[in-house]
Amino acid sequence: MPATTTTQPTRTTLPERTRVASVTEAGPQIHLEHVEKTYPNGTFALRDVTLEIPKQDFVFLVGPSGAGKSTLVRLLIREEKATSGTIRVEGQDLSRLKRRHLPYLRRKIGMVFQDFKLLPNLTVFQNVAFALRVTEGALRHLKPKVEEVLSIVGLEGKETKFPDQLSGGEQQRVAIARALVHDPLIFLADEPTGNLDPATSWEIIQLLLQINARGTTVMMATHNREIVDVMRRRVVAIEGGQIVRDEDAGGYHAPALESH
Amino acid sequence: MHRLWNRIDFAFSSAWQNFWRNAAVSVASVLIVWVVLLALGSLLLVLHSLDQIVALEKTKASAISVYLADTTPLSSAMDFKLHLENDPRVTNVIYVSKDQAMARFRQLPALDPSVIDTLGTNPLPASLDVTVRDIRDLAAIDQEVRTSPLVDKSPATNYEPNVIDKIILLARVAGIAGLVLIIGLTGLSVFIIMLTIRTAIYLRRKEIEVMKLVGATDWFVRWPFIVEGLIVGVVGAAVAVLIVGFGYRPAVINLQSVLIFIPLAFDPAYLRVVLAAMLVFGLLLGSVGSYLGVRRFLKQ
Repeated sequence: MPATTTTQPTRTTLPERTRVASVTEAGPQIHLEHVEKTYPNGTFALRDVTLEIPKQDFVFLVGPSGAGKSTLVRLLIREEKATSGTIRVEGQDLSRLKRRHLPYLRRKIGMVFQDFKLLPNLTVFQNVAFALRVTEGALRHLKPKVEEVLSIVGLEGKETKFPDQLSGGEQQRVAIARALVHDPLIFLADEPTGNLDPATSWEIIQLLLQINARGTTVMMATHNREIVDVMRRRVVAIEGGQIVRDEDAGGYHAPALESH
Repeated sequence: MHRLWNRIDFAFSSAWQNFWRNAAVSVASVLIVWVVLLALGSLLLVLHSLDQIVALEKTKASAISVYLADTTPLSSAMDFKLHLENDPRVTNVIYVSKDQAMARFRQLPALDPSVIDTLGTNPLPASLDVTVRDIRDLAAIDQEVRTSPLVDKSPATNYEPNVIDKIILLARVAGIAGLVLIIGLTGLSVFIIMLTIRTAIYLRRKEIEVMKLVGATDWFVRWPFIVEGLIVGVVGAAVAVLIVGFGYRPAVINLQSVLIFIPLAFDPAYLRVVLAAMLVFGLLLGSVGSYLGVRRFLKQ
């Protein structure tokens, strides 16, 4: 067992900010309590994870591959169910959420991935419109909404292009636009810059900051040390399925001396 | 309204794309549905025809025609008639002359009168049509009249005690064999439709992943595949319905000209019921097959 498992993770700085943000709310927007996730083959993915994320927070989720970041993200959209513990998103207990209500949870959460998950046979416009069509958004408002989100991500004029005619950064913007069509309250990004060069990665981060500034909670799982270190935002570090560090204005690695 | 239309439009356009995207598999499932429904429709019509025959034979069952030799003088025939009428087992005897027999014969459906005219002489015998009180006495009366010298020898009467039993047996065997065949084919077609839908789902797995991710409901994801199954059912049924619908009448007419003495009739009212049943069964095959195809995949 690593030594870190014995110490309780603590918010080292600015705890007031959390409190201020939650004053108007009944509780934090995302709340995990003693969450465990064991896969059927017996491997532990998460152990005793407790985490609160208030509205409009911007959180980096860091840690080595296989630490449990992706599992945590999948639990939040209930792609997976926790083995034990409770997860609340927008006040809803995900373990009690009925399957038929799950789509409505997903519409409150925008989600992007390392591999974009765009449909290659659809144009940029169609890829974004697809998310509205399949959720039965009123067709009358479809075109203005798609145009609105495409302008947010800066893809005006690319509507008729197909994904393979775009750069990686542009493809990720399409995915972000698609994730925005439902005006999500929470935006989850799982390694969104994993396939992108540093300059493009920064553009994507700027976009996520913009989205956050519009009032959306953003959680980004990443390996990108440079970005995390420069941004100085809240950092939640996971190792071996446990939260080993949770600091506001943190860096990618634990501060060596400053914490004492 | 808009939402409903969007849902229908999405389901149908996706289903149509699915159908053509794996055209070979889709055509295979249409073919099997077609075969099932063709078998079903044909079986229903054959059984119905056998029923018609049995019903008609039953009304004739209490009567036999005793054929008289052409050499029998009318007076002897009338004596014989009187003799039969005095028999307590007999309720009624009608004399049918050679000309009346010919007139009756001409009225048989699907018989070309010009063919009869080329015969020149009238080959039909005069007869005494004897109706009995109890069907069980028919055999005894048949035996008695055969001994009379007035009676034609080839054949003496139209008494065929087993014909109804034989037809009923035939109907039963045809019904069971047909049912077994249709059950087997039904299972096979549901299985093939299921595979077709699984293939369509596999080809659309990326889209389905995105749909679930952005919050499409399970039923929104399922509908295109259910509709695809329905399309398979309807197309297969439509082809079978056309063939049976247009083929039944010519088939009856052809059989009538071959089996002159079997009372086969074209029954348009029953045909409509059969065609409707085929269509409904086609839809059923399609929806059950696609439901099974969709069920396991989207459970997760």
